[in-house]
Amino acid sequence: MLVTHLTPLASSFFSLLAIASLVLSFVMLGSQWLRDYMYAFGLQSWLIAVLSALMAFYGGYPELYLIALFTALFRGLVLPYLVLRILRRMQVSRELHLVVQRSSSLVVGSLCVMFSLVIAYRIAGAVGLTQNVVVLALTVMLSMKLIGFLMLAVRHEAISHILGLLLLENGIFLGSQILIPGMPLLIELVILFDLLVAVVCFGVLVRYLLAHAGTTSSRDLKRLVG
Amino acid sequence: MTARDVLAQIAQVLAVLLLSPLIQGFILKFEECVQRAQGPSLVQPYRDLWKLFHKQLVVPETASWIFWSAPVAAFTAMMTVPLLIPVLTDYPLPLSNMGDILGGGLILTLGTFFVNLAALDSGSAYGGIGSSRTVMVSILAEPTLILVFVAITLMAKAMLPFVVNHLLVADAAVYWSPTHLFLVLAFFILLLVETDRLPIHSSTHIEVYMIEEARILEYSGPLLGVLKWASMMKQFILYTIFCNVLVLPWGLSREGTAVGIAAAAITVVLKFFLVACLVIVVETAQSRLRFYRYQEPLAAAFLLAVLAVVANQIR
Repeated sequence: MLVTHLTPLASSFFSLLAIASLVLSFVMLGSQWLRDYMYAFGLQSWLIAVLSALMAFYGGYPELYLIALFTALFRGLVLPYLVLRILRRMQVSRELHLVVQRSSSLVVGSLCVMFSLVIAYRIAGAVGLTQNVVVLALTVMLSMKLIGFLMLAVRHEAISHILGLLLLENGIFLGSQILIPGMPLLIELVILFDLLVAVVCFGVLVRYLLAHAGTTSSRDLKRLVG
Repeated sequence: MTARDVLAQIAQVLAVLLLSPLIQGFILKFEECVQRAQGPSLVQPYRDLWKLFHKQLVVPETASWIFWSAPVAAFTAMMTVPLLIPVLTDYPLPLSNMGDILGGGLILTLGTFFVNLAALDSGSAYGGIGSSRTVMVSILAEPTLILVFVAITLMAKAMLPFVVNHLLVADAAVYWSPTHLFLVLAFFILLLVETDRLPIHSSTHIEVYMIEEARILEYSGPLLGVLKWASMMKQFILYTIFCNVLVLPWGLSREGTAVGIAAAAITVVLKFFLVACLVIVVETAQSRLRFYRYQEPLAAAFLLAVLAVVANQIR
């Protein structure tokens, strides 16, 4: 396994990128404007692309360079562009009605991180890998997933839901890149294109919602219509 | 202690004294250039100082001895700090063992403290506003500064800036560790706050926005010149700590030869221009925050400093 024998320089690169991604997911959790939210997602995807490229360099997996390129291209450019297009079509630029205030959601997010740290220690102990990078990667992966779920749960706007889903996906991708970098190329490609399909579907859904319900907020979609 | 070391130490102080208006001029000029205006000349701060030193001195009737001594104290404090930090050489020079990072921070704050006293001294309303706002900002900024120093100490296991510099040059793993980069980000926010830049300080001198300007409103002529020069030197010193200790620890003189010192001076100016470009980007992109949102950037800096400490512990 690659992570068990990394040079100090490589492990500091990996922990830097993992922690920076986690910080960016907190930026997403605390941001008020949907546009900032999306820029944070784009930046996070670029960080993950850099991480893949570094993994390719240190682990000697040439196919990961391709993955890094695709990640930067699709997650870093195409997905944000598509979401920006959807954003431009919608009339909302921020979350108006919050279930949980932004500051409280940051606190809940930090509780999620603590919870995932405990879980990560358990998992790493059970597998027998106690390197800091492994624990860190597991923590970041689990907490990004939990934060993604949190955003799906506490936000109303359809666009926040898309970005929450994408964040969740980013967390899984980041963890898999660090922990099992030798995944088959095909699976990684499938994950990438899956996301593209998801965003396109959401685009269609948003258009449908705007045309038929006049709103994209799940708050206004409580009433059943026949 | 050799004669060469003493001369190098004098060169460090002179570099801070003579190059600090150049950095200010660079920022002022290129800020205008970004907005597609022409901007003042690079040497305009030197001309301003020259003009101020040839003007008559007007002193309020209510002023006491504090009014006279504060500019001198601030100026002296700013000339003392370069003795303690690596401005041109990467090894300690004579008298640099007077204080560590915390000592340097103390002397920097001492200058600010005296200017605050002087602002209150003449009893004008603006001075009161200015000093109360400055104290408010420093109450928010000081804990972060101390925490950044603590994190630097934990990272390098020493409180001397020279040790940090050597560690970062020698060990790329430490340079790219999350601890170091969080520290850099936290210190950058502090740098913006302490050198009177946006998002807290305003570049236009309207009464409701004034913080730094309100404190020195009563001064004129040479004393105003001394105060302005002291604040430019403070900016230069903070840039020095940011570049030579944290971000760009390379390019300092190792031997202390005349050529090395001159080359180090040029490198320092180039490095500072790089940082100034970043500052210009922030100043252009960011608008001024209102008073009750001052804590937001500083809270972010505090969070980053805490993260740096945590990341250092789990390394």
